[in-house]
Amino acid sequence: MKYRSLLFKTSDPFDTFNTEELFVKAVKENSKYQYDNCPEYKKILESMNFKPDFIESYDDIQKIPFLPTLFFKNHNIYSMPSYKMIKATSAGTKGKFSNIGFDFTGLLCGLRMVLKIGKWRKLFSFIPANYIVFGYKPHRKNKTAVTKTAFGATLFTPAIRRTYALKYKKGKYVPDLEGIVKAIEKYSKSRFPLRFMGFPSYTYFVLKMMDERGKRYKLKKGSKIMLAGGWKQFYKEQVEKEVLYKLANKVLGIEEEDIIEFFGAVEHPILYCDCINHHFHVPAYSRVIIRDVESLEPVENGKIGLVNLITPMIKATPILSVVTDDLGILYDGEECGCGILSPYLEIVGRIGLKDIKTCAAGAEELIKEVKL
Amino acid sequence: MILFKGDLYHSKDQEIILNQLEDEINKTRRTKMLNPEKVIVALEKLGQSIAEGEFDALISQLNIEGIEKHIDIILMSLKRENIEYKVKTELGEHYFDIQKTDPPFNQKKLWIRPMPLGTLLHIAAGNIDGLPVFSVAEGLITGNVNILKLPQADKGLSIKIIKKLIEIEPDISDFVYIFDTPSSDLHAIKKMAEMADGIVVWGGDAAISAVRQFAPVGCKLIEWGHKLGFAYISGYEDKEKELTALAEHIISTRQLLCSSCQTIFLDTNSQEELHAFCEEFLPYLEVAADKYPFQSIDVIAERTLQKYYEKLDNIISGSAIRNDRVYKGKHCSLTICPDKNLELSDMFGNCLVKGLPRSELFSTLRKHKGYLQTAGLICQRERREELTDLLARSGVVRIMRAGDMSSAFCGEAHDGEYALRRYTRIVNIQ
Repeated sequence: MKYRSLLFKTSDPFDTFNTEELFVKAVKENSKYQYDNCPEYKKILESMNFKPDFIESYDDIQKIPFLPTLFFKNHNIYSMPSYKMIKATSAGTKGKFSNIGFDFTGLLCGLRMVLKIGKWRKLFSFIPANYIVFGYKPHRKNKTAVTKTAFGATLFTPAIRRTYALKYKKGKYVPDLEGIVKAIEKYSKSRFPLRFMGFPSYTYFVLKMMDERGKRYKLKKGSKIMLAGGWKQFYKEQVEKEVLYKLANKVLGIEEEDIIEFFGAVEHPILYCDCINHHFHVPAYSRVIIRDVESLEPVENGKIGLVNLITPMIKATPILSVVTDDLGILYDGEECGCGILSPYLEIVGRIGLKDIKTCAAGAEELIKEVKL
Repeated sequence: MILFKGDLYHSKDQEIILNQLEDEINKTRRTKMLNPEKVIVALEKLGQSIAEGEFDALISQLNIEGIEKHIDIILMSLKRENIEYKVKTELGEHYFDIQKTDPPFNQKKLWIRPMPLGTLLHIAAGNIDGLPVFSVAEGLITGNVNILKLPQADKGLSIKIIKKLIEIEPDISDFVYIFDTPSSDLHAIKKMAEMADGIVVWGGDAAISAVRQFAPVGCKLIEWGHKLGFAYISGYEDKEKELTALAEHIISTRQLLCSSCQTIFLDTNSQEELHAFCEEFLPYLEVAADKYPFQSIDVIAERTLQKYYEKLDNIISGSAIRNDRVYKGKHCSLTICPDKNLELSDMFGNCLVKGLPRSELFSTLRKHKGYLQTAGLICQRERREELTDLLARSGVVRIMRAGDMSSAFCGEAHDGEYALRRYTRIVNIQ
């Protein structure tokens, strides 16, 4: 896996242009490894008449058979014996979880990536901070990657205290937003900065609650709001990002540039971090292909489609090329204006049949929300 | 939300209300009769208030494609002429008048007294908005006490409409009770079922078999299950017109209805004929897809990804991949399958095409007897009678021209039955 290591040692984390050749080599190397070590992956490639040797240039990457995230929710497939890897699960949608294995070297590559991107976004500081985590309090029964990454994000600075919005009580997680409001009030008097990490939905609800009660604070310099984990079940309440930025400034005195959003999936463990214009540029370790929702063929930049994410980061599970449940658009990097030239990804929705009504026999099983 | 004697209560009061429900219903049934004329007047007035836009805000939240057309059908069905015609068709002339038998052999005469079945429990599925109201309206026209268990997907429209109906005609308040009990609360649903003389259940196989599990013996089950529609083609009267109509039906209903065409059967055993048909019909589908564009990209994406996933799943599990031949058009497709089964398509403009010679039509359709409803018959004029007879014998209950497979007709039966007859009983009195 020498090309993978070289790729993750790239000095500029957003240089997708000069890393292209290296990326192709690392992808080929990964594809070969998966093909030789994961019988299921080999079967899929063979039945689609694809061989890792076919990968010669960047254009060949789109031809690699991709796996939908739904696939990992129903099949546990690995390319390594389990004692060699660390497993993590996705946050469950519709009650199903992806089980993904990570190899140690792959995680080291990930660490390099986090350090580089964190440095670029000025997330590291030696000044200790208090943390409010709008997410799950770690518990031995919770193996979700989102819990682990939310905890990981509290390591950007020395952490004084961590307060969690979702507490594990009697076998399930319950939100404690009142507790968070109290914690914010307490931390705002501290001489250290306060950092927020977690689901945008809860962050927004708490800010709204505080705004309605007329609470106003001016947090210390170095305070930041980090958002990750999607809107999930609160999709309908999705607020425009600007509304959240304005609210954060009004209630906590946090500037827009100190609000950072992350995007990632356990099936594509690349840290997507927004730029100062809040766009998710594709980092050098990853590539994005947007695919037509009917033909699954790649579409040009600016067009909506299914999001195909490619990275050679992980050996333990064939997540080389995955398609998520999101609908997205890829834009030319120059359109952003922040200076980063790699294209940027906007997630605009999620696939689904939820609003569809049917009385055709058997069709309702496809639409799981419709019940008796 | 619970509706009890015309007033709204919080769902948490369910237990208290259920405990006194039987006494209330017994009192009503012992002492009151719902005058069908009053119900008809109330339903007509309800139609007017829908037409005047009273429920527009709620309806627009439902986000239904082509809602205007649906509302037109609802308004038509609430008109006096339609209700009276429905009653006359389903129950016969002068049904509500007490009549006398006139038996042969000088037998003694008996009085015939029409009565409602009694108490109906409606378990409405969430797959058609407004369906719970429709079901209750049929129960009211026949004078029944109606307990409605709302589907979880109901967004509050049903309870608002029925509340309005009670405002228009307060007599109805003793004849409708609505509960938003979740399907998981079997204890409460069983309690409702124990009070009922009939359970009217709407929904798919899972819903119906769940009700069969808990319905008390002696309680009549009135099942309105999900069905599969198909087209049968054996020559043409006017090929262009008929194929256009079939294509527009397939595309415009998105193949989501019981009556929507899922599979097109051709009266042939020849694979060449199937291929020739697909090549000819695909452009018709494309034209229709262009005329009725489907906007929900999230739905299309979900179906595409699901198909792709199934393909991978088959590869991994080593199950035989069907030797289907797909004709892919723009926003539509036709798939030739080697079997002869009536099957659900991928919907949204993706239809199945199969060969089914006339000689095998009957035996094939019998295998799907629980799912038969609508057949769109396209054939040469001289064959229509023979094929209609064959379809009717095999269990199909709606035999339509291809373009009208999902059209609503005044006075038509529901899945081969007159619903009102099932909601009533006859008392003979000497």
